[in-house]
Amino acid sequence: MDHKEMPRPTADTWGKSFPSGNELLKNISSDDTPLTISQRPQQKWEDPSMLDYNTRIEPPFQEFKQRSETQSSLPCNPNNQNKVTDEDVQMNGTIQTEKIQDWDPRAMLNNLNFLEQKIHQLQDLVHLIVGRRSQALGRPDELLAQQKQLITADLTSIIVQLISTAGSLLPSVKPLSGTTPTGQLGQLGGLFLPSTVGPNGSVQPQNNGGSKVSDQSNQMDITVNCGNEQNYNVEEHESKDDEDADEGENLPPGSYEILQLEKEEILAPHTHFCTICGKGFKRDANLRMHMRGHGDEYKTPAALAKPNKEATSEPMLIKRYSCPYAGCKRNKDHKKFQPLKTILCVKNHYKRTHCDKSYTCSRCNTKKFSVIADLKTHEKHCGKDKWLCSCGTTFSRKDKLFGHIALFQGHTPAIPLEETKGPTVPPDRGEGNEAINKVRSINFNFGSNAPNGNEVQNTADVKGNIEDPTGYFSPLNFDTWNFGGFHEFPRPPYEDSESSLSFLIPGSCNYTVPGSCNYTQKTGAESSSNNPE
Amino acid sequence: MLLSAFTEDLLVRVYSKLGSDSDRKTWRLVCKDFLRVDSVTRRSLRVLRSEFLHGLLSKYKNLDTLDLSVCPRIEDATVSVLLSQAVNSVSWTRWVTRLVLSRASGLRYGGLERLVGACPCLEVLDVSYCWGYGDREAWAISSVRGLRELKMDKCLGVSDVGLAKIAVGCGKLERLSLKWCMEISDLGVDLLCKKCLELKSLDVSYLKVTSESLCSIASLPKLEVLAMVGCPFLDDYGLQFLEHGCPSLQAIDVSRCGCVSSSGLISVIRGHRGLAILNAGYCFSELSAMVLHSLKDLKNLNTIRIDGAQVSDSSFQTFSTNCKSLVEIGLSKCVGVTNMGIMQLVYGCVGLKIVNLTCCRYITDEAISALANSCRNLVSLKLEACDKVTEKSLDQLGSCCLQLEELDLTDCCGVNDKGLKYLSRCSELLSLKLGLCTNISDKGLAYIAHNCTKISELDLYRCTSLGDDGLAALSSGCKNLMKLNLSYCNGVTDTGVQYIGRLGQLSDLEMRGLVNLTSEGLTAVVAGCKKLSDLDLKHCGNIDDSGFWALSYYSRNMRQINMSYCAVSDVGLCMVLGNLTRLQDVKLVHLMNVTVKGFELALRACCVRIKKVKLIGSLRFLLSTEILETLHARGCKIRWE
Repeated sequence: MDHKEMPRPTADTWGKSFPSGNELLKNISSDDTPLTISQRPQQKWEDPSMLDYNTRIEPPFQEFKQRSETQSSLPCNPNNQNKVTDEDVQMNGTIQTEKIQDWDPRAMLNNLNFLEQKIHQLQDLVHLIVGRRSQALGRPDELLAQQKQLITADLTSIIVQLISTAGSLLPSVKPLSGTTPTGQLGQLGGLFLPSTVGPNGSVQPQNNGGSKVSDQSNQMDITVNCGNEQNYNVEEHESKDDEDADEGENLPPGSYEILQLEKEEILAPHTHFCTICGKGFKRDANLRMHMRGHGDEYKTPAALAKPNKEATSEPMLIKRYSCPYAGCKRNKDHKKFQPLKTILCVKNHYKRTHCDKSYTCSRCNTKKFSVIADLKTHEKHCGKDKWLCSCGTTFSRKDKLFGHIALFQGHTPAIPLEETKGPTVPPDRGEGNEAINKVRSINFNFGSNAPNGNEVQNTADVKGNIEDPTGYFSPLNFDTWNFGGFHEFPRPPYEDSESSLSFLIPGSCNYTVPGSCNYTQKTGAESSSNNPE
Repeated sequence: MLLSAFTEDLLVRVYSKLGSDSDRKTWRLVCKDFLRVDSVTRRSLRVLRSEFLHGLLSKYKNLDTLDLSVCPRIEDATVSVLLSQAVNSVSWTRWVTRLVLSRASGLRYGGLERLVGACPCLEVLDVSYCWGYGDREAWAISSVRGLRELKMDKCLGVSDVGLAKIAVGCGKLERLSLKWCMEISDLGVDLLCKKCLELKSLDVSYLKVTSESLCSIASLPKLEVLAMVGCPFLDDYGLQFLEHGCPSLQAIDVSRCGCVSSSGLISVIRGHRGLAILNAGYCFSELSAMVLHSLKDLKNLNTIRIDGAQVSDSSFQTFSTNCKSLVEIGLSKCVGVTNMGIMQLVYGCVGLKIVNLTCCRYITDEAISALANSCRNLVSLKLEACDKVTEKSLDQLGSCCLQLEELDLTDCCGVNDKGLKYLSRCSELLSLKLGLCTNISDKGLAYIAHNCTKISELDLYRCTSLGDDGLAALSSGCKNLMKLNLSYCNGVTDTGVQYIGRLGQLSDLEMRGLVNLTSEGLTAVVAGCKKLSDLDLKHCGNIDDSGFWALSYYSRNMRQINMSYCAVSDVGLCMVLGNLTRLQDVKLVHLMNVTVKGFELALRACCVRIKKVKLIGSLRFLLSTEILETLHARGCKIRWE
């Protein structure tokens, strides 16, 4: 594990990219060594924004944190987990068809209703406490502290919810209503939740719990991981029909609404935030899945349903997106402006075109990407460019290689060195290669142990040996034949010089090579022991 | 004394007139001068015993052809040794232009590379049936820049990559056979056609190539012969490419291409008026009038095979009028061949030499008589399963077709002793098949034996009326017999088989199911037939170990043996497999008296030279993995029953 992670710019990836962090999680969850688990919170602590988070939110919040910890770890019971992933899959399907929805007034309304309810609940609670206080003044401080905790927790959750509701407005509000609200909101985010813009997974309170809850947190990771992985899949899927795909689309100007996201938003990893714990998500569906962990009220079909399902029936103006980069063809001020179809297109376009390519392929160390999905796609095929020309050019497809060879005089396909006999091995020759190596090693005086597989070496050795033909015993050289103990073997009474040799096991007589010693002795012994006489 | 008067070049001229190997052997044994003439003059060497190879190659310095196809134990190590001697003296590889490595499955790319690399003049290479060959071996071959002819049939591992190597490396290639190289696809063929523009002959039979390949092949400017047997994905669309390509195409074989129909064939014919050989067997169900009509443009057509097609009398009418120069016609399993049809055919095509009427069941004496009368130069006639043919046909053949060399009368119940008497007038007969002719007896065989002394191949499969006397006659008459099938001739006993031992040239002998044959008979055969290389003893249950002991002692040239269902024991089997040092192919199923240990030991004894072995499937798990691995590594193919 450690070695694997070494080349990664760990702090960076943690900070910037969710998916790569994800992969790390994957590794962890697959290996689940205690070492890596403990390593994780450590990195968290190092994260400056995380420290920020902790200092800002002062003691009461820490208490809340503990509570929410227990809450959030609830859905992570193995029993629940299956269900979660199942439904995730289902939801995912709907996501794919529907793509990302950003600001939606109905969702906003839902959120506000929810807030209202929450405030009412809190009101009731405080009323209750007030009532009880008047009844029993002499209660121990313990209960009082509990009540206090409860209230602070609820209050914090309301605040978070409020901020996130405002945050969900961000992308859509901006292009419509100028810059001022954006600034405000951004400030808000910066003030209270550094995690909204900053490092993605930082609001995962359960991770701060340390070793005590490490098991649970690990489970949680898995669930989260599942969700995100699916996200990633979806993204990858979509990345194929991204900005270039709508090239041919010719919507008359004005027939659609142009939205333009700001750079910060485009680069922000998440657009949906949990109102309770503040965890960020790329998709509302995943958020809804997540919400179930915060209480039964989120498990109702109404809460799980897509909030804007009815909204689709309303006639909506087609939305198209503009790239915020001035001068870009995808920018609405460009003469030949070509709008982008979806937010995802915007994101991918912006990252690919206007950002550094910060993701380097770990296999070839040459190809760089700015979109992580592109890296993943590349890595899937990287090194699989098995169609290699003698000139060193690699091709992912055979026909491309053959086209290349047809074009250039003298170029030939290179036969990979490590491939011993690849396709030539018939199915029933399971251990054929091994055997070949073995026998070769016997023939060619390889020394004591035959190297496993490396054919190049074999050839080299063969040639090396051939230089010195006296170095090994030829199968034709009768004088060198020597068979101990073979005279006892039953032979016809006729004298025949060849037949006397013929019973010898291959290799036993012909090749008296150190490497073959075992074999020779063994077979020799066996055959003499099997002597039917 | 007399001989010393001859100068060496005179001796060389005499030597060059020698026809057969046995004559040359006699020559070598005369004296040292003659031996030297032989060693200086000899150009071609086909070696059966690899242990002599070393000595032979140092003796024959001027070889241009080396054939190692029947030689067991050709491996990388062998090659190294053979080449190592070249260091001291002038290399024997200097003038070698032709190398036959067919079935040398033990040779791998290392050895192959060395071998072909040592032959600077190499032009022809045959590596067919080296089933283990793949791209690496192809790579080794590709280093032969001057290669003109390459045969790679059944090199199962060679893929497009290997073919590309060869295509790029051997740009002068003129003849190439890729039959059964199943890995090769359109891509490889396309590249080949782009790189090897000198190709004159190409065989892509049984490949999974499509019309795209034909599009590429059509671009070959010099292609003359194209074989595409059994390509399931080739269709008429592909053949249309050929119409406008390959201007010098002379021979095309599209037999067993399921997707080819008349229209495709017509387009090929339309484009190539110079076509001489057309093989379209088992392509289409009916020979359409359109095809027949188009045939009239093919002035040079001398061979046509339309096996399995539906024909009518009018088809033959067309043949007769349009294809006057026809030399060979194949009508095997054609539906609708009648006496009338054949009579019409031979009326026009008097030059026919090779006629195949296998399974044309409605043919009677009338047709054969007409054929014999018209086509006096008939050389080969196949009448298998034409059961209406009687002695009258043979009478006509015996009186008119004195050139007849090959006659197949398998399953012709109408053939009797009298017929054979008539037939025996064809004294040029080389091959005669009388399988399942139950009406012939010793008497009939005696006629043949007395008169057809040139016969080299005789098939008497299930001629149950035959007895020992027939074989006695045979052994005294047909001294040139090389191939004999006596399977299931139940009348034959040890006495008869002992006569077989007198046939010194016999190399192939099938004696399946001879229940009366014992060790005594087998001993006589193997002791007499020194050249025996292929022996089938399946179901000869009465031969015991002593017979196999004799076999293992005498049959030094044995290459292939079938001992299935024989009563051989552990010891016998070990003797046979251990002592027959040229053995390459053995079938050993249902040997009831052999234990697993016996098999193991026997296989160990022969695994260095064996190339193919058939074993009962249960042994797969009983034999040690060591021996199986060794067999594999040596290029031996195991067939499990």
